[in-house]
Amino acid sequence: MGERLHPAAIAVYAADALRQGAFPLLVILGASVFGGGFDADAALRAGMFALIGTAMAALAGGFRWSTTRYSLAGETIRLREGMFSVKEVEIPFTRVQAIDVEQGPIQRLFGVHKVQVQTGGGGVGGELVLGAVDEAEVERIRALVGRQVPATAQDAPPAPERRLSGRRLALAAATSGQLTVLLPVVAAIAQMGQQLFDDPVQGERTLVGALPDGAAGWALVATGLLVLAWLLAALGTIIGFGGFAVRRESDELRIRRGLLQRRQVTLRVGRVRAVRVIESPPRQPLGLATLRVEVIGFAKEQAAAQTLFPLLRREEVEPFLHELLPELADGLDGLERPPRRALRRYALPPLAPTAVAAAALAIAAGSPWPLLLAPLGAAYGTLRFRAAGWRLEGGRLAVRSRSLARSTVLAPAAGRESHDLAQTALQRRARLADVAVAFGKGTVAGVRHLDADVARALWVAIGPR
Amino acid sequence: MSAMPEPAQRLAPAARWAWRLSWAGGCVVAMVVLAMAGRGLPGSWQTAGMIVLAVALLAGTPLVPELRWRRWRWEVREHEIDLQRGIIVVRRTLIPMARVQHVETERGLIGQALGLATVEIHTAAGSHEIPLLTDFDAGMLRSRIAELARTDDG
Repeated sequence: MGERLHPAAIAVYAADALRQGAFPLLVILGASVFGGGFDADAALRAGMFALIGTAMAALAGGFRWSTTRYSLAGETIRLREGMFSVKEVEIPFTRVQAIDVEQGPIQRLFGVHKVQVQTGGGGVGGELVLGAVDEAEVERIRALVGRQVPATAQDAPPAPERRLSGRRLALAAATSGQLTVLLPVVAAIAQMGQQLFDDPVQGERTLVGALPDGAAGWALVATGLLVLAWLLAALGTIIGFGGFAVRRESDELRIRRGLLQRRQVTLRVGRVRAVRVIESPPRQPLGLATLRVEVIGFAKEQAAAQTLFPLLRREEVEPFLHELLPELADGLDGLERPPRRALRRYALPPLAPTAVAAAALAIAAGSPWPLLLAPLGAAYGTLRFRAAGWRLEGGRLAVRSRSLARSTVLAPAAGRESHDLAQTALQRRARLADVAVAFGKGTVAGVRHLDADVARALWVAIGPR
Repeated sequence: MSAMPEPAQRLAPAARWAWRLSWAGGCVVAMVVLAMAGRGLPGSWQTAGMIVLAVALLAGTPLVPELRWRRWRWEVREHEIDLQRGIIVVRRTLIPMARVQHVETERGLIGQALGLATVEIHTAAGSHEIPLLTDFDAGMLRSRIAELARTDDG
């Protein structure tokens, strides 16, 4: 049945096999090097092993290529792999949610692409993977599977496209750290504390040995760790989002990204249920935001796969959406707010844990200074209150909330999966209620502590149809 | 508001027995755990914990399942599923029929003994339950939702 992959697949599969076999090979290599000391003999042996390994991988790659066939007949894409244990996958065209095209280093060497066909199953990676196909074949697959109606080049308006400029990429990288930069520092301190707990005498000795001298030393260590974490996050952003471009073609969005590993994702607009505008702590004061999309069947993919655009100025968001995703475009401002009397319900719950923690710290340290940390919870709650808001106009829902980052969900209410109206016993007395609208596994748009009548009216308005 | 009357259907009356059993069972298990692990705690803590659990067992067993049962309402209409439940947090959920991906019925150990089953409704965003209907009702409801979900394409 069907066709073979591009012969470059032999190299791709061989590399896969080599990668799987690399660890045992390295162990053998390491053993022979360290076991007998590194001399000419050992080098020769190591070279032999490497050669045999590569030859075997090439054989395995060739075998796998020769036993792999795929076809695109009868409105179904089929893949058959293997000889001794045969694996067959069939996906009807109508069940295809997205076609990811990606170029790893080996694919780039041969000028071919890796095609991953995604279904609604929602697993990570494609449910059907073609390791190497050439450019023309990618277009054929796209035309057959990705689009039921082929676009005609003449009457189609020029496809809108947006690229991430180098300056923006640098800005995105510089502000990518968020609060995760603090984690390694916290972890290191926690581990030192743990040592002290486990074995006070020994622990203290190692701790004192590891301690920097004086406050300046401490500050230096902490700053160093922060800078390192920040650099790593920035590097991750540059590698992940370098060359980011998004393009609208009839009912599809094509997203390309990645510096080392070029990835290309095709999303059907009909599958996009919601847009999330995320303003993380370092970006919000600069008026910057990230756009993410909630795509049905995509929830388990990594966050980068759900990025519609890595960095925009806040005021650019609405025009951007009107150009590329008018189906979901909406304004970010002019939202209804929860009533003033809801403020203390936002502020008090987070105040309790920070107040307790601050008191415990103050007692442990025998100094009143940690008590200054107590109001942090209330400040956080107040920020959440100020972020909370909603609007429902012409069937379009906009809901803003904050956990650490401020996030605004824009979506047609008809695209929801379910919606809740909830009221606790305490809220009943204060005539307040919560509304939450689920658009997918990763997107629940919720506003807490609305006036009960307003909440109920909103819930009904989103209501049955 | 008149557009959205409260859902009319209740759970099976025997659901109260299932909840009574699991509530009482949970309390007893907690007491046993406390009795065994409590040696490390100061004596007064253990006594206080035992008293709390005993009150929960004696007062909660008749009360909590009854309140829960009275609050739980559901209704399956042509275009949506309407759920309302909760004693302390009253939650009302509306699931459009077009979003239902599949429906399951499931019977736990207690359900098995009492002839009760739970209907699970799955959407792309997660799952919702109508717990502890009679076996027959649960089966009927599963087929009915599956049928309605097939015909309603939003």
